[in-house]
Amino acid sequence: MRNPLAAGLAFACFAYPAFAQEDMRALREEIAQLRKAYEERIAMLEARLRAAEEKGMARKAPEPASPAAASAFNPNVSLILDGVYFHDNRGGRSASLYASIDGAHHAHDEHARALERGFDLRTTELVLSAAVSPHFDAAAKLGIERKGEVTLEEAYFETRSLPAGFKLRAGKFLSGIGYLNAQHPHQWDFVDQNLPYQTLLGEHGLTDTGLRVVWTPKTGSWYTQFGVEWLQGQEQAFATSGLTTPNARADGQPLAPTAAGQLSAQKGGPRLWTLYAKFAPDLGTRHALQWGGWLARARQHQEVHDHTAEDPASLVHALEGKARAWGLDAVYRYDADGYGGQGNLKFVAEYLRVSKDLRIAFHEDGALLGQPRDFVQDGAVIQATYGVLPYWRIGLRYDALGLTKNEVRGPSGRLQEWRRSDRWTWALTREIDHFSRLRLQLSRAHLWVDGVREKANQLFLQYQLSLGAHGAHAF
Amino acid sequence: MRRLILLLLLAWTPWAAALEVVATTASMGMLARVVGGAAVRVVELAPPDRDAHHLQVKPSMMRALRDADLVVAVGADLEVGWLPAALSGAANARVMPGRPGYFEAAAHVALLEAGAAADRSQGDVHPAGNPHFHLDPGRMATVAQALAERMARLDAFHAASYRQNAEAFAQEVARRTPLWRQKAASAAGAVTYHKDAVYLLAFLQRPHLGTLEPLPGIAPSASHLESLATTLKGKEGVIIHTPYQPSAGAEKLAALTGLRVARLPIEPPAGSTAAEYFALIDRWVEVLAQTR
Repeated sequence: MRNPLAAGLAFACFAYPAFAQEDMRALREEIAQLRKAYEERIAMLEARLRAAEEKGMARKAPEPASPAAASAFNPNVSLILDGVYFHDNRGGRSASLYASIDGAHHAHDEHARALERGFDLRTTELVLSAAVSPHFDAAAKLGIERKGEVTLEEAYFETRSLPAGFKLRAGKFLSGIGYLNAQHPHQWDFVDQNLPYQTLLGEHGLTDTGLRVVWTPKTGSWYTQFGVEWLQGQEQAFATSGLTTPNARADGQPLAPTAAGQLSAQKGGPRLWTLYAKFAPDLGTRHALQWGGWLARARQHQEVHDHTAEDPASLVHALEGKARAWGLDAVYRYDADGYGGQGNLKFVAEYLRVSKDLRIAFHEDGALLGQPRDFVQDGAVIQATYGVLPYWRIGLRYDALGLTKNEVRGPSGRLQEWRRSDRWTWALTREIDHFSRLRLQLSRAHLWVDGVREKANQLFLQYQLSLGAHGAHAF
Repeated sequence: MRRLILLLLLAWTPWAAALEVVATTASMGMLARVVGGAAVRVVELAPPDRDAHHLQVKPSMMRALRDADLVVAVGADLEVGWLPAALSGAANARVMPGRPGYFEAAAHVALLEAGAAADRSQGDVHPAGNPHFHLDPGRMATVAQALAERMARLDAFHAASYRQNAEAFAQEVARRTPLWRQKAASAAGAVTYHKDAVYLLAFLQRPHLGTLEPLPGIAPSASHLESLATTLKGKEGVIIHTPYQPSAGAEKLAALTGLRVARLPIEPPAGSTAAEYFALIDRWVEVLAQTR
């Protein structure tokens, strides 16, 4: 109605110049009044419509079938983009130093992630999760590497309807041991994995295929959780099996004629089990504290040592036996109630120790066959983050490998002892919004590699973006 | 002897049958208390002075949920950042979403802004709709009635009392509604920090003049405040923010426009009953009414 009126007005003005001023003002006022009246009527009608809608809702209110949001998207899909700018003081070789730290652990060089100076994409995480039915939740997490290689990081289902506080999870999943183990890289407070985890458990912590039973009993004002896991123990740092007896040397030479022995066949799974417990007192709305402890046992562990490519004088040998590990962890969180996480404090400390009781199952010097080789190694990580400003967080971490023990013992005592490698890390995280963050991280490590103390300084500038459904993070 | 046992049983039964309710916010706790009366015990997870969007999961939450018979959540993704993880850690099958022990208030009322595109360039939007309906007494009365039905389903013994309590609450809201509307009739409207008071303004039939946040969940920017000030030029109204929202943006807008700033809690105190909730609405109405 606005346009015809305006057109009419224009026409009137054009046709009757004398008509002008006074009448124009009157017309304008009339239009304004009309408009106001209409707006009021529309507002009134809208209010009535709203009231009617509410009434309608009120009538059908008792027991609608499904919750509004908790099942709205099925499945939840989220994608985490993660990239870094990297620089170090070793011409880009610091990552390989990290991969060959001296110690009782068996270095898996082939798993070491090369890090080039400059820009790099870290694993892109694709997560799908949903309730399958009233009885099961399921989730799958895919890691897509820079070159397109896809790994299935997790794929499991979990019960949601068992009584008495029991839950069962089956598939491939991150073990519930420790505090940091179950966290995905986008939940880490630092760019990289801590030293003891990386070396004693693996880059992604302990992840394996199997079954977990968790029990959360009613324990009054305490939160208590017990978990037991039966895992395959396929390619873990302290649970590897199914290796073949060496039949050649890495340097291309034939095996020595004195070579003897062989690795035994792979035992049937599950070959690794873990047991863990977590306790948390109720400290009110601002403080949260949790202690945990865990044990793990591998009933078969095999290692093949072939360093002939670097050192032709060394002898190829293979070890096998059992392994066990344990750890303690503590978390304290202070929720300061500040805007943008200002004043929030989080403190995490973990200690872990791995012992491998092995025997020489194969050796180029056959006389050594059957000798024990008992490895012990421990490590610890202590880290804290603090919200200095709204959406700004600083983090400090100290992690060490071979904290109190890092040795191998033979039939007549200690054969070799390695030194402690440690690192200080400082990180500044800026939460741009709830779905994106930037992080600057500097670290200074003293690593023992082949008996030489190496200094490795690293700088990371990282971005992490999360697309799609952003699920809640566990404590 | 037999009589004594019977007496003991009688005395013990209602207490033993008390529903353990875990409410996510203080207003949901209030509803649970109002509807449940003496037949329920209520624990609230989010302190009333905290932004319920951004809580961290804590073991104490999981413990409370472990023992719960009924969870009363706001829903519409308000608690999406922490409640699912807390429920998962609680391992209590009875209160999992989809079970009778999981009550989502948002499912029982029509939500404003429902069906918005889940486009995060538009901020932290909830496609399910705006979840802050708890300041609308009308919708809360509706939720109370739905909650009474749910409690009746879980605890048939007290069904009549639940329904009665909800009805009484609804009647009290109906009695007070014309008074609130009358009082607010002259109010010019309000600018809020987040879109959290829009339901109350709609309930009072007063305009919402804008938000200090340029987009939901995005902190106020100078350019947004300036453009907001331009649209508010010559208008009356009040700028309202909650205690957990920083006051800088509100003060800047006040300096630009000359509007008054008010800091108002958005939730009733922890452990509230209907009286405290109505007092909260009274307070908001009061502040809105003073805009002229």
